[in-house]
Amino acid sequence: MQECRMDGKVKKQKKHQQKHSGPKAEKKKLKKPGGSVEDERKRNPKAFSVQSAVRMAKTFHRAQDIKTKKHHIPLVDRTPLDPPPVVIVVVGPPKVGKSTLIRCLIKNFTRQKLGDICGPVTIVSGKKRRLTFMECNNDINTMIDLAKVADLVLMLIDASFGFEMETFEFLNICQVHGFPRIMGVLTHLDSFKNNKSLRKTKKNLKHRFWTEVYQGAKLFYLSGMVYGEYQTQEVKNLGRFISVMKFRPLVWQTSHPYVLVDRMEDLTDPEKVRTDPKCDRTVSLYGYLRGAHLKNKGQVHVPGVGDFQVSDVNFLPDPCPLPDAQKKRALNEKERLLYAPMAGVGGVVYDKDAVYIDLPASHVNQLQEEVHPTTELVQSLIETHATLDTKMAASKVSLFSGSATLDPADISEQTRERERLEEECVWDPTTQRERRKVIFTEKEEEDDVSGESDSEEDDSEGSDQANDEDEPSQVEAGRKAKAAGGAPPEKKQKVEAEAGRTESSAEMPAFADSEDDLEMSEEEGDAGTPGDSGHSSEEEDDPTEYECGATEDLWKKHSERECEEEEEEQGSLRWKEGLQQKAAEAFLRQQEAAPNLRKLVYGSVVEVQEPEEEEEELGGLFRVSRPQKSKKVQANAPDCSHFKPDNHHNWDVEEMLDSIRDCFVTGKWEEGQDAATLLRQDEELYGDFEDLQTGEVHMSQTENAEDDDDEEEEIQVKMDDEEVQKNKRLEKKRRLKERFDADYDDDDATYFDDLKEEMQKQAELNRAAFQDMDDESRVQYEGFRPGMYIRVEICSLPCEFVKNFDPHYPIILGGLGSSEGNIGFLQMRLKKHRWYNRILKTKDPLIFSLGWRRFQTIPLYHIEDHNGRHRLLKYTPQHMHCGASIWGPITPQGSGFLAVQSVTGSKATFRIAATGVVLDLDKSVTIVKKLKLIGYPFKIFKNTCFVKGMFNTVLEVAKFEGASVQTVSGIRGQIKKALSSPTGAFRATFEDRLLMSDIVFLRSWYPVSVPQLYNPVTSLLLPAGQKDSWSGMRTLGQLKHDLGIRNQPKADSLYKPIVRAKRHFNPLHVPKELQKALPFKSKPKQQQPKGRTPRDLQRPSVIREPHERKVAALLHALSTVHNYTRKKAHTVQHAKHKEFLQQKEKDEEAKLKRQREAKKKLYRVMGQMDQKKQRSSLTGATKDD
Amino acid sequence: MPRVLSTAANFSTLFFVFVLPSFLAVLPPPTPPSLPPSPLANVSSCTNTRGCLPTPATNNNNMASGLMYDGCNFFRQRLVLSTLSGKNVKIKNIRSRDDEPGLRDFEASFIRLLDKVTNGSRIEINQTGTVLFYQPGLLYGGSVEHDCNPQRSVGYYLEALLMLAPFMKTPLKATLRGVTNDPTDPTVDLLKSTAVPLMKKFGIDGEAFDLKVVKRGMAPGGGGEVVFTCPVHKTIRPVQLTEPGKIKRIRGVAYSVRVSPQMGNRIVESARSILNQFLPDIYIYTDHMKGANSGKSPGFGLTLVAETLNGCFLSAEMSSTPQGQGDPVLPEDLGRNCAKLLLEEVYRGGCVDSSNQSLALLLMTLGQQDVSKVLLGPLSPYTMEFLRHIRDFFQIMFKIEVQKPLDDERKGGDKVLMTCVGVGYSNISKTVK
Repeated sequence: MQECRMDGKVKKQKKHQQKHSGPKAEKKKLKKPGGSVEDERKRNPKAFSVQSAVRMAKTFHRAQDIKTKKHHIPLVDRTPLDPPPVVIVVVGPPKVGKSTLIRCLIKNFTRQKLGDICGPVTIVSGKKRRLTFMECNNDINTMIDLAKVADLVLMLIDASFGFEMETFEFLNICQVHGFPRIMGVLTHLDSFKNNKSLRKTKKNLKHRFWTEVYQGAKLFYLSGMVYGEYQTQEVKNLGRFISVMKFRPLVWQTSHPYVLVDRMEDLTDPEKVRTDPKCDRTVSLYGYLRGAHLKNKGQVHVPGVGDFQVSDVNFLPDPCPLPDAQKKRALNEKERLLYAPMAGVGGVVYDKDAVYIDLPASHVNQLQEEVHPTTELVQSLIETHATLDTKMAASKVSLFSGSATLDPADISEQTRERERLEEECVWDPTTQRERRKVIFTEKEEEDDVSGESDSEEDDSEGSDQANDEDEPSQVEAGRKAKAAGGAPPEKKQKVEAEAGRTESSAEMPAFADSEDDLEMSEEEGDAGTPGDSGHSSEEEDDPTEYECGATEDLWKKHSERECEEEEEEQGSLRWKEGLQQKAAEAFLRQQEAAPNLRKLVYGSVVEVQEPEEEEEELGGLFRVSRPQKSKKVQANAPDCSHFKPDNHHNWDVEEMLDSIRDCFVTGKWEEGQDAATLLRQDEELYGDFEDLQTGEVHMSQTENAEDDDDEEEEIQVKMDDEEVQKNKRLEKKRRLKERFDADYDDDDATYFDDLKEEMQKQAELNRAAFQDMDDESRVQYEGFRPGMYIRVEICSLPCEFVKNFDPHYPIILGGLGSSEGNIGFLQMRLKKHRWYNRILKTKDPLIFSLGWRRFQTIPLYHIEDHNGRHRLLKYTPQHMHCGASIWGPITPQGSGFLAVQSVTGSKATFRIAATGVVLDLDKSVTIVKKLKLIGYPFKIFKNTCFVKGMFNTVLEVAKFEGASVQTVSGIRGQIKKALSSPTGAFRATFEDRLLMSDIVFLRSWYPVSVPQLYNPVTSLLLPAGQKDSWSGMRTLGQLKHDLGIRNQPKADSLYKPIVRAKRHFNPLHVPKELQKALPFKSKPKQQQPKGRTPRDLQRPSVIREPHERKVAALLHALSTVHNYTRKKAHTVQHAKHKEFLQQKEKDEEAKLKRQREAKKKLYRVMGQMDQKKQRSSLTGATKDD
Repeated sequence: MPRVLSTAANFSTLFFVFVLPSFLAVLPPPTPPSLPPSPLANVSSCTNTRGCLPTPATNNNNMASGLMYDGCNFFRQRLVLSTLSGKNVKIKNIRSRDDEPGLRDFEASFIRLLDKVTNGSRIEINQTGTVLFYQPGLLYGGSVEHDCNPQRSVGYYLEALLMLAPFMKTPLKATLRGVTNDPTDPTVDLLKSTAVPLMKKFGIDGEAFDLKVVKRGMAPGGGGEVVFTCPVHKTIRPVQLTEPGKIKRIRGVAYSVRVSPQMGNRIVESARSILNQFLPDIYIYTDHMKGANSGKSPGFGLTLVAETLNGCFLSAEMSSTPQGQGDPVLPEDLGRNCAKLLLEEVYRGGCVDSSNQSLALLLMTLGQQDVSKVLLGPLSPYTMEFLRHIRDFFQIMFKIEVQKPLDDERKGGDKVLMTCVGVGYSNISKTVK
């Protein structure tokens, strides 16, 4: 199949066609006369009966097992209706063809050519799917970051070379951070000349790939290049694979919002940058939101930069929208959009601070040459920008006019220039400043608008009052508002400050009209840009504050006791009475008015901080220290959750009682639930039945009535009536079916089915809950939903982020959960990677990738003892899991992590040092290491012993009283009491008597603290081209190596030649008694050599005379000869004797043979005789006798 | 495991002595704190950690996101939400204009309780006690005993504990001693009969989930004892409580301690006289505790709970005025008033009664990233502030829809339908093995 696809044409096998007519079909029919299982059962019941109960149970069990194995924990489907583009990360070692593949795919989908692939490229690939391509370079930082956001990984493998380390590293990274879909792509297949070796390589690579990913993982083959591109048909096939692929939801990705940034703008004030080039930058980042809902003002982590508070989030119109839902097969050219701002391609983009025009509808004409003019337009825009910037006259109109003056004659010339320029412009900070210029004008405009609105607000207070009069309930409030005279709120404050006593009365009307004020501003907010209503925050907040006060006051009014206390506090209460009255009324009004409740609770969208500042500054030099009862009292009121009852309700009155009558089961029920209705329905369903015993037919009453009706009715309305009847029947049928389903279907439903159904319901509810709201208000409730194109503004980014910006490196905004911004101790389960060629040392810094983050920290390795104690390890075990404790960011338990020693450069060896999972989060750790305290006995009594040298003071001993001690030889004991002198000595008792040479030790466990180093890897801040050279804290080994420090080894640890003294053993002494008793064999012999014979026993040596010597020599010679002859004779004799023996044996044998023959003869004769005898005896005794 | 001890010098001051966990640590003899003239004028700062040296919590990455508040009102809300969200909180101007500025004893006691159930929290209080800085630690749980300050009843402490208990590292078993019933705070009986079943709706369940009144102690003397146990939960289920259903029965407890046992019966009689107009299924238990279980002060009271067909609980309660504070109350009046309070509560309606609104909203917020809906009666001021706090701490806003009763319906006043999407909170304290 693979081969087929490789060729580009999928051959379809011809299917078997069954005959429907003709002789063959007839034959078939005859052969199988509708033999169903049912029939067979009837024909051969034995074959279908239970043969063996055990076997049946087994098959059933197995079937159930298989069924249950297929189950996964059902999850609520939280995918949005219009999902964000699928992130496709193209990974591979350098020079394997990543950019080429992306280019080909983009060309395949959009018919556009892209030069440099900078940053993410988003395209519309189909009616329902968009794709974002991202190239992953060889930097391990990039690989880690992209593995966390990828939905699909295209893993390019150079088949001519085989697998490279990067591939395996990336696979391992993926395994740790949730496994996205991985598709392998083999390239450079054209380098194989031999077809057989090609096939073999493919197979080998495929099987290795399968072991890494899963059996049967898709591996795609790109056979060769044609004019620097992959073959069109193959790319098309790959594109098809991609566009129908399904993705599994990954836990981390679905529980965290994240953005793969595809556009970046620097919003910092250029003046600030000019004066202080290293000032913190305000930057807006754009991209599709993915994963979960993003809340405004949340925390995000930018991998490679750090953690930041989001200062603002907006959603923008989708720059690369899906086509409108129309019933058609394919996309037309206009809908094949491409959006890649970092690569300088995209549509017209409007957003909060600027208008960007990039390549509008560049794809209308397919030809490549046609693209240039449009890029040129952008370039010209940029160019004009620059000139305007220098002229300090920035305005949009002139901007366009500038572009309009462009001479079409020198297009071609400019094209070339600008192409070069465009590449630069991405990096150039001047361009960014230029862009900001547009922002600046925008902002000015905004300011103007805000100013206007302010004044508008002021003006419109009068009209506001008019509005009030419309509502009869608010007349009073309106009157009070007139008293206030529509003064702006700041002035109100001043009035308060100036007047001592009257101020309070002025405060009241301000409060009374406050609600209207609020409403007004809210309306404005709706009309204008609701997200940016910061300018009117004060006016809005103040009333809210007062309203809180109002509600609070209301509450207070009912708690009379408290009121009395306040009376004492405040002295005069007359004005306050009135206030409370008003407050109560206002509160009730708000309770009634539906939309006000939201405002009552949340005010407007803005924060509630500013008014405080205002107050502090009040009065210029002097600060008025007035009690400010209304507010402060509320802020310091008793904290109580009781909701005091409304005194308006008098529960003695019958009407009041009636008003809650239906809350009880005794009250009136709803139409659908009323017992009478239900009964009637039941009757309709089950009304007609025939009593089988009596044969009586009961008809339901309603039907009878209907029948009667029918009879009464005229034929004119027959048609309608039939319709009604039909509907009724249908309704009845439906109800019956429902009832039946409810009765019988439930038996089959398992727990799993129920759970799944529940999840399904929840998913539907999630979709429906905010469906009919506009996005503006919807984002406030549920946050920004995935799939939106958002703009995230972040203040105080380091300037290096902008300065050293490189679009080839991904910028990711990873949203953090509520407490994931904090730092604490993490306890993890860790295992050294089996391919990493060294073990890891405790307290050596290590770079972790955990959650969104990459950071360096100092882990402590430990192992859990059988009693739950965490014992420190010096090194990680070779092939075992161990615990690791680090000081790092709080990340939910169960998150996987990986560790590397360094992220610098690329080494030949495998870089991933360890992998593992977070087990526990805490604010403290409980790792201990063993500590042996050694002491020496200095006085020994029987079993008691005085030990010195273990402690230094009496106090220390006191802490360890009762602790168990031990000697090296294994005698156990206990510390009893400290001695007065020497200090630190103590009395101890042992189970046996000690020797002075014994060493006493106390085994104790000493808590170890985890070093609090948390050093985020800020690789994105490094200058372009050096981003893969981040280096943090060095390990001790590296430090020593770099500084040339060598440890002075301990003298005792050095190896020396081993000199062994010769051993002497004492002689074995056997007691005399024993010796006597021993048998001679075992008796000790005189083994020792004889001592020197004493002189008196020595015999003199004999010295022969020469003659004697001759005689002796002759004798010796003779005897030698004699010996020789004798020996010779002996041998001869021996041989003869042997011969003789042989002869004898032969004779013997012959003799025996003879004897045997003779015996045989004899026995035959004897036998014959016997036979004769017998025969004669049988015939008669005549012969014998 | 060495643990940092926290020793109380006196109730109004927080004074902590650290014992270094090193075995060689020299423990100086504990010197009694020299009390300055003002009882609250004592700088106190405490960090509680289990098994580790107290370290200044430094954030390497300049993102100590803190919130600032004014005044001591909603004190518990702020600290509880801070603990759950992990955000620092600073409360200024605590009774700064008051004659007796600073934190009260019961607030100090509350802080101490929070300190007991957490690990690594950091609390700083200034000289006068008017500024509190709280950096939350992780919820630890375990077996906790606490002597609650009798200025407020155990309900004050328990309300916060109910919110925190499911998110501990180890299952919580809290023994709280003090005033079990007083008129200001929700009593233990009320929480037992409404908050506990409410939490069960959110999936917080198990046989270990229990609230037991061992001893009853009335204000002002106290002397009661409550045991609250709660298992640990990783996530909270989203709920749809939009239909309260009709009230099927009313139950209640009429308790009396150190008074005549007849008081209970008198209360029951009077309460029934009003409630019987609506429902026949009313049963009010009389709970008279004697001897050691009766606390230190006399008193009586009534807790009424209405249960609906859909398993929602509405409650009302009333206690006798504490001994020596205000006019004594007749048990008949108390019974009648309490019954009227219940009617008021029924009038307000909703699926959650008014005192547990904030608990329900919190659990909705902490749910999965799914839509939860709860129908409430009119929002109490406390709940409104709680909603604002939830927005501050979790950036969650509720969709608030007012449901007006139909003309022919006789089901009380306006209802409020609260809708929110949970933050997807998961218990980060729990250990995975």
